[in-house]
Amino acid sequence: MSRERLIAVIDDDESFRVALVDSLSSLGYGARGFASAEEFIAGDGTEPYDCVITDIHMPSMGGFDLKRRLLAHGSRLPVIMITAHEEPGLEARAAAIGAVCVLRKPFEADALTHCLERALKA
Amino acid sequence: MDKTAPTVPEEQRFILTSVSPSWGQKRLALGVVLASLVAFCIMAGPLSTFQLRQIDAFVPAYGTAIFVNDLITAVLLFNQFAILRSRASLAIASGYLFAGLIVIPWLLTFPGVFTPGGLLGAGLQSTAWLSVLRYLGFPAFVIAYALLKDADPPKRLWEGSMGATIFSSVAISAAVVCTVTVLVIASDAYLPPISIDRVRFSSFWLYLASCLILWNAVAITLLWIHQRSVLDLWLMVALCTYAIEIYLSAFVGPARFSAAWIAARIFGFVSSILVLSVLLYEITTLYAQLLRAIMAQRHEREARLMTGDAVAAAIAHEVRQPVSAMITNAETAVRWLDRSMPNLDKARAALKRIAVDGHRAGALIGSIRAMFKTNARHRTSFDINELIKEVIVMVRSDLQRHRISVQTDPNLRVRQVIGDRIQLQQVLLNLIANAIDSMASEDGPRVLSVKSEVVDSDIMIASKDVDRIFNPLFTTKPDGMGMGLSICRSIIEAHEGRLWFVGNTPRGAVFQFVLPIAAA
Repeated sequence: MSRERLIAVIDDDESFRVALVDSLSSLGYGARGFASAEEFIAGDGTEPYDCVITDIHMPSMGGFDLKRRLLAHGSRLPVIMITAHEEPGLEARAAAIGAVCVLRKPFEADALTHCLERALKA
Repeated sequence: MDKTAPTVPEEQRFILTSVSPSWGQKRLALGVVLASLVAFCIMAGPLSTFQLRQIDAFVPAYGTAIFVNDLITAVLLFNQFAILRSRASLAIASGYLFAGLIVIPWLLTFPGVFTPGGLLGAGLQSTAWLSVLRYLGFPAFVIAYALLKDADPPKRLWEGSMGATIFSSVAISAAVVCTVTVLVIASDAYLPPISIDRVRFSSFWLYLASCLILWNAVAITLLWIHQRSVLDLWLMVALCTYAIEIYLSAFVGPARFSAAWIAARIFGFVSSILVLSVLLYEITTLYAQLLRAIMAQRHEREARLMTGDAVAAAIAHEVRQPVSAMITNAETAVRWLDRSMPNLDKARAALKRIAVDGHRAGALIGSIRAMFKTNARHRTSFDINELIKEVIVMVRSDLQRHRISVQTDPNLRVRQVIGDRIQLQQVLLNLIANAIDSMASEDGPRVLSVKSEVVDSDIMIASKDVDRIFNPLFTTKPDGMGMGLSICRSIIEAHEGRLWFVGNTPRGAVFQFVLPIAAA
């Protein structure tokens, strides 16, 4: 294995964030958790993330806002979106702004690795 | 009696023999009695000597009408008995049945209706004595009814089989009528003569009639003493017209087919139709009330369903979070264990997280259950600020989704208000859901502000054209149900409060409602 891939996990729900970070490390990825998009942006630069997994619905900045902001700064960092809502049409909206995929909670590890593979191939 | 006595069910308040008469009904009853007296005076005075030509169809028509009226009344009253199970209603139902059935032999034996002397081998006295027995029997049943109905009601409830009881009382009434008929016809020669010939009555009839009127008076007095229900009131009126009927046919026109005799028959008809009309009227009215109650209940349920939908979505979202974490943790734990060198510490940590998430989900479900457990229609005094907080939590995800910021301004002077907590929670939920829906399509800052304050009870409310918004069918939302606001208003008004709406400057709207506060 070459360099360990590093993934940022942004979710305001702590229990799910911790679970996802541990799940990623059990899958052989490096992972860091952030309670909000702002927290993630504030700690930028030092660590080269290969992918971001972000919740869509969060207080203040949500997943879509983050993706737009990354685009505005010319970042090509791949973004995977997750949500616990049943709201229809999120997949289309996410694809429109260039997100790799949308995962609806609860999702299986296979779906996650499938998305990650697509994200990291790019 | 060691087993518990059957208690009077609450629905009896809506049953005719238990509903107390309104003032309007009492006035109407008095009106009917006075009108009967006026008609009686006219008959007893100016028209007393008037002799009509004999109309052959009159007696059969009259008899049939009375028979049908009394029979239908009896059926309705037996129905009341089936519901109430009180001996009193069984007595009065049997009374009407007896009065109806005895008309059959009366009609059959009436001279000149079927054969010149009457059928069944009737003698000269048969018909008259049958009608005397009818005048005697019906008040007797009314007296039984009056005495039974107040005598310790719970113990007087019938505990036997309903069908068998009704059947046997029908059978007994029929048997009594048959026996009486046979006896009257058989002992025709021995009975004190009432009829002199086929038309005229004897002077003995006068004494008998006086006794019968007294007998009626006894029944009326007993009813008066024990009067309670609509049925009692109209039975008294019916007995009054009954007495007038007897008086007219004995003292004013003591001959068949005299004007007074015909008038007496008409009074008899009125008497028999009175209770029937009242029963039918009351049944129809109660049916309408029932319908209204069901409609109101359905509206309430719709209001619950409407917000219930939003509540269900919020609950689903809240529960899905810990469940998703549990699934991810479980898969992770399996992966840590499946490694060639199982990482037991990591697996243990993941399993512990599952337990924590499980408890979180359990607590969540517990709090949801507690939220809906409060007894509906139960008014308590509670902290309105707490309720506001609770509702904001319930709609939090919706507020977040539409990026609506919330300002709550709890007023510490407002502590306890009185009301049905669940219903008022529905009102708040509805109002906030409406606010979210209308703000979702707005650009610019979206602020939901919820405040509570104490106002004077005589606050003037300027509501002119804004009332339209509470029209059940008025809605600005393309897919929304306009029912929400009008239901909110009904709930608030049921709490002796008011709900209204004013425009806000520079934009937006303010919904305000007032509720009574608990006395300190």
